[in-house]
Amino acid sequence: MFDEKDLLLEARHVTRRFSTPSGRELVACNDVNLKLYRGKTLGLVGESGCGKSTFMRFLVWLDRPTEGEILYRGKDITKLKGRQLHDMRQHIQMVFQDPSTSFNPKMKIRDIVCEPLLNYGRIRHSQRDEKARELLEMVELPGDFADRYPHNMSGGQRQRVAIARALALEPEIVVMDEATSALDVSVQETVIELITRLQREKNITIGFICHNLGFIQSFSHQIAVMYLGNIVEVMPGDQLSSLCCHPYSKALLNAVFDTKMDFSRKIEPIKGEPPSPLDVPVGCPFQDRCDQCMPICRERRPVLTEISPGHEVACHRYGEGVSA
Amino acid sequence: MALLDIKGIDVSYGKSLTVKNCSIALDPAKICSVVGESGSGKTTVIRAVLGLLPGGGSVTAGDIVYENRSLLKLSKGEWRSLRGRDISMIFQDSGAMMNQTRLIGKSFVEYIRTHESISKQDAWKKGAEMLGRMRLPDPDRIMNSYPFQLSGGMRQRVGIAMGMTYQPRLLLADEPTSALDVTTQAQIVRQMMELRDEYGTSIIIVTHDIGVAAYMADHVVVMKDGRIEDQGERGYILNDSTNAYTRKLIKAVPSLGGKRYV
Ligand SMILES: Nc1ncnc2c1ncn2[C@@H]1O[C@H](COP(=O)(O)OP(=O)(O)OP(=O)(O)O)[C@@H](O)[C@H]1O
Ligand SMILES: Nc1ncnc2c1ncn2[C@@H]1O[C@H](COP(=O)(O)OP(=O)(O)OP(=O)(O)O)[C@@H](O)[C@H]1O
Ligand SMILES: [Mg+2]
Ligand SMILES: [Mg+2]
Repeated sequence: MFDEKDLLLEARHVTRRFSTPSGRELVACNDVNLKLYRGKTLGLVGESGCGKSTFMRFLVWLDRPTEGEILYRGKDITKLKGRQLHDMRQHIQMVFQDPSTSFNPKMKIRDIVCEPLLNYGRIRHSQRDEKARELLEMVELPGDFADRYPHNMSGGQRQRVAIARALALEPEIVVMDEATSALDVSVQETVIELITRLQREKNITIGFICHNLGFIQSFSHQIAVMYLGNIVEVMPGDQLSSLCCHPYSKALLNAVFDTKMDFSRKIEPIKGEPPSPLDVPVGCPFQDRCDQCMPICRERRPVLTEISPGHEVACHRYGEGVSA
Repeated sequence: MALLDIKGIDVSYGKSLTVKNCSIALDPAKICSVVGESGSGKTTVIRAVLGLLPGGGSVTAGDIVYENRSLLKLSKGEWRSLRGRDISMIFQDSGAMMNQTRLIGKSFVEYIRTHESISKQDAWKKGAEMLGRMRLPDPDRIMNSYPFQLSGGMRQRVGIAMGMTYQPRLLLADEPTSALDVTTQAQIVRQMMELRDEYGTSIIIVTHDIGVAAYMADHVVVMKDGRIEDQGERGYILNDSTNAYTRKLIKAVPSLGGKRYV
């Protein structure tokens, strides 16, 4: 499916536990194994609270896993400190859902987009005007927006500023956590056209979290589905609706509101109680809500098993990948 | 007779006229979806209804009438008795708006106790029960957490729970589900519609998800550049409108198995 020589970043057995006020342990990510390939996009979807942001935050050192390693450029980046960490940071950048909360409202757009370049001494103070203009034009904003403040722009424009800033250092990897959710569909379309064009030109690797399945499958090379801290299915992006077979992935697809749907159809929520990360059951994490649950699902956790090229699933109904 | 009648309002931030001549009438037990361009003034309009425009914002023309009285002339005391119980709002970014240094439970108890006189313990129980209805597991853990300890969608659901605590007559919901996965979104949509069906709540929902807008709405309003660009029934907006912007918007809706960029 993907050429292993293009493997750029690999998460191995990554687990994150948080302690809670009641003293119980919360498992936000459980033995996550994922690979990011050069110039490709990994889309990550899953239930609210299942650990998507927790995982992506490791890649930009906003948090560290409790166990496991994340290999990039031959190093386990979760162990980096000091100078090495500072140097590595410029290669991986992140765009958040709401850029207004991550911008300093008192700074002009010029200073916002140039800040990372100045931090790494890539440009001199006197070059800011020219560089800001170039970056803004790259994301199809007028160069004189450099003089504006963030609150004088619409959400769509601010999001493009956030992208320009993230790309300023020419990173190898860009992580986008619901970076387009607040945009109207037409602006969303222009933003994704822009991102995929820049990806082709600069061979950027992207990790993208998003709840809109139609949207994420339009630009992802691989899609990973997460449930209660576990990756339950990974598949090629262009075949999401035809290949997906994990019962949770299917439930997701069935819950999509579409402009061509039958509007008289009653909404059937996914059955059972929402799962608690404080109380992850033995066996399959989806067992209590699965309508195909078998006895073995309550005893053994299914592991991700490749069932066709590029398609892995963790379900006892598929493959025979049963862990001890 | 309309429950809410927004009559040709203009809204300005300082000197800049942001919303121009906007009119929406909403009958009891009806749902109106507002869709449209990012930055077109959707949030501005519904904040104007609730009298909660951010600093510098004001309604400079027109009127907003709720049950035969103008909302533009209410005193602070009158607003207090109306907000939360009669008219409530789910904010676009409930997560970022929460006090980051306070426990969720403390904020929720305070919210409940400004609207009814009950003990702290009862308010806590009521809050936890509302969180459970939003399909948040372990409501007690959520009540005992700080906002940063919750995921984006969990924080958003705390905001939705607050907005739906009292069965309001009018619910203003600004992007309530855009931070939620689709199965949770389906559940919240269902609950908003049950509020309408069981209590006759009228709803204005602002959303970028045209599928959700169409599913919920009796009436769809399309905004662009501070104006109402187009409006009508779901079928008209989705299929029949010839308005160029409406068409462009509908065409841009991503669909499963649709267009690919890579
Ligand atoms: N700092 C923290 N302390 C304690 N628990 C945390 C912390 N950060 C996250 N969690 C918990 O970890 C779980 C996963 O959260 P995460 O933010 O990764 O979810 P998510 O998949 O990004 O959800 P969403 O789609 O709603 O953004 C949640 O139960 C959350 O409450
Ligand atoms: N406090 C403010 N001061 C000045 N201008 C503002 C303020 N708040 C919003 N604006 C401007 O008013 C316009 C409308 O903003 P509003 O937030 O109502 O748009 P929206 O339709 O809700 O957009 P989105 O879909 O991005 O949420 C935008 O151009 C915005 O930049
Ligand atoms: Mg998240
Ligand atoms: Mg808005």
